[in-house]
Amino acid sequence: MRRVLIVAQNEVLGLVRSKFFIIGILVMPVCVGVLMTFLGYASSRVDHADRRFAVLDRTGVLYPAVQEAAAQYNREKGEGAERSGPHFLPEPVADTAGQDDAALLAGLSDRVRRGDLFAFVEIPAGALDPGSTAAVKYYTQNTSYVRLSTWLASTLDGQVQQERLKRAGMDPRLVRQLTRRTELASFGLTERRADGSTTEARRVDELQRFGIPIFFLVLMFMSVMSNAQHLINTIIEEKMSKISEVLLGSISSFQLLAGKLVGVVVVSLLLAAVYLIGGAYTLFALGRPDLIDPVLLGWFVVFLLCAALLYGSLFQALSSACSDLKDAQSLLQPAMMMLIMAYLSSMLVLRAPDSALAVGLSFVPVLTPFAMLLRLSMPPGPPLWQALLSVAILMTTTVAVVWAAARIFRVGLLMQGKAPNLPELLRWIRK
Amino acid sequence: MTAAIEIRHVSKHFGTQAAVDDLNLMVPEGAIYGFIGPNGSGKSTTLRMIMNIIQPDVGEIDVLGKPAASSARDEIGYLPEERGLYKKMQVRRLLRYYGRLKGRSLGELEPAITRWLDRLQLGAWADKRVDQLSKGMAQKVQFIASIVARPRLLILDEPFSGLDPVNADALRTAVLDLRREGTTIVFSTHDMGTAEKMCDRIFMIFQGRKVLDGSLADIQAQYGHDTIRVRLSGGASALQGVSGLESVTDHGNFQDVRTTGSPGALLQQLIARTEVRHFEIMQPSLADIFVRIARPEPDGREGAA
Repeated sequence: MRRVLIVAQNEVLGLVRSKFFIIGILVMPVCVGVLMTFLGYASSRVDHADRRFAVLDRTGVLYPAVQEAAAQYNREKGEGAERSGPHFLPEPVADTAGQDDAALLAGLSDRVRRGDLFAFVEIPAGALDPGSTAAVKYYTQNTSYVRLSTWLASTLDGQVQQERLKRAGMDPRLVRQLTRRTELASFGLTERRADGSTTEARRVDELQRFGIPIFFLVLMFMSVMSNAQHLINTIIEEKMSKISEVLLGSISSFQLLAGKLVGVVVVSLLLAAVYLIGGAYTLFALGRPDLIDPVLLGWFVVFLLCAALLYGSLFQALSSACSDLKDAQSLLQPAMMMLIMAYLSSMLVLRAPDSALAVGLSFVPVLTPFAMLLRLSMPPGPPLWQALLSVAILMTTTVAVVWAAARIFRVGLLMQGKAPNLPELLRWIRK
Repeated sequence: MTAAIEIRHVSKHFGTQAAVDDLNLMVPEGAIYGFIGPNGSGKSTTLRMIMNIIQPDVGEIDVLGKPAASSARDEIGYLPEERGLYKKMQVRRLLRYYGRLKGRSLGELEPAITRWLDRLQLGAWADKRVDQLSKGMAQKVQFIASIVARPRLLILDEPFSGLDPVNADALRTAVLDLRREGTTIVFSTHDMGTAEKMCDRIFMIFQGRKVLDGSLADIQAQYGHDTIRVRLSGGASALQGVSGLESVTDHGNFQDVRTTGSPGALLQQLIARTEVRHFEIMQPSLADIFVRIARPEPDGREGAA
């Protein structure tokens, strides 16, 4: 056992000093933070150009409303140094009666090409007819810029509806009030106290419903993935540089594998601990410390341990069978795909955690650490027996995979040449 | 005589190829035992089986009185043929790691690491990474890694290959010192001169089978005093037409000949033909014996004389 811990210590030191870990634990969150801050800054600072557009209003009534809405929009965006977005500057297209439509559109297109206009919009004459399906047409060179078109779509849709309501003799304000959306607030259940009184039901918001489960899902994925590349690199280095031969002169292949697995688990826990502390700090800052659930944290640790052992032993076994990184990439692809599949299938669980599919997925050992953890983190969670059964299946599978990995590892470490195929790997296990 | 290594009827196949075939060998404690043999003859396979890195198909190996699979590994230092060092690791950290895997504490290891690094002129490199060392330095680090845990048995696979004469000499002296301290040493080599100078006993493996095992004197006696060194006034051309010659090796100033007849009969023939300036009955060198065993037959097959 002492030697297993010596190998583990060496692995942990090697991993925490590796660029993968430093990137994973420090640089990545900092990069994401910097990127988010930059995007936030850029979205309000970069798009400041005036967007002049022409409105060919064939209804004859909508232009003033567009002009007023644009003025309102521009006021909201501010002026000078405080300005946080573009200004939309509409201009009416002069009376079109008697003009050739094609020539008119060509003329406006030329103005866009010259840069006099950014775009122009054509509102069909029948737009206000209740049964009209004619679309408002938006013309521009720069089709990838959607801020103006999105604003126009929403503004014109509102104005057309208001005009239609007025023409039908209805008060648009009253209609708006009558058709206002009714909010649905989600709550947990109330509970009876010993004295017969009841507790107040707790409101369940988006943070609890999706934020916490997704946080755990991403953290589980990151913790497992952060080890994978380091494991693959070190095992291939040890094999190619004949370090493994020196190590096997001192310890058994199982001790070596076990030491590396312990190292993987420690690093996974370390990484998770850093992010969990960060997460807890964020919840305190948001005034939601009530969302910190020690039971859920306990489940997370159990599933993280199993996932680190399961995937860690799988990566070790397959890496040991490879002679170089190129071989490793192709042999490890199925294992990587399995991990990504586990992550993606969790999205189905997120949508309906109590569906038969979600229940089934949470009992598939390679998916369990993700799927069952998600179900546990989404109120009200699965029945306890399901969680315990999934852990039992996962642990049994993990022991079996570690055993098989040790047998592949023992042969693979000393094997040179072409990477084995699946039947050969199975033969190594049976040996 | 206590055995440091005892190999009994050991065979190992890779696929259909026999790497080692029914090998029996006893290495006495405290000896320096040289393993020689052509490339691919089974030396490294035998050493790996002794280290329990690979297991024999049949047969048994006892090391230091215990089965090879047991904790005898802690008492064995091993330097593999291809060097195994972590390139990005600092020298001292690497030596600590390898030493601790042999069950030694840091307290035991630190003085030994410092002493050996200083002795092999690597003290200034203790905190450098392995990939900053020259090939010779890395080889010395690998050697220190194999002895830092004070093994009772030291197995060295080609320890001197690739070293310059100064470093090779430093390592040879270190090996002899370790033997004086009681360490049993087994090393494989292609350098017959080193094997002759250093080894108490020599074992030669050829095509997976033992072909020589004994002291140098025993082996030389076994292969007879059938090489004669001559210096003739006519040089090698004076040997033309001499009957009973098995082989002639022309060294320019002198010739080594082997005869199927007696040395006296050869001398009589030579005196009758030319002026004989030198005539010496030689003991065959280990290199001669090696070549005689491993030289390919005229039909292309390798032979075992």
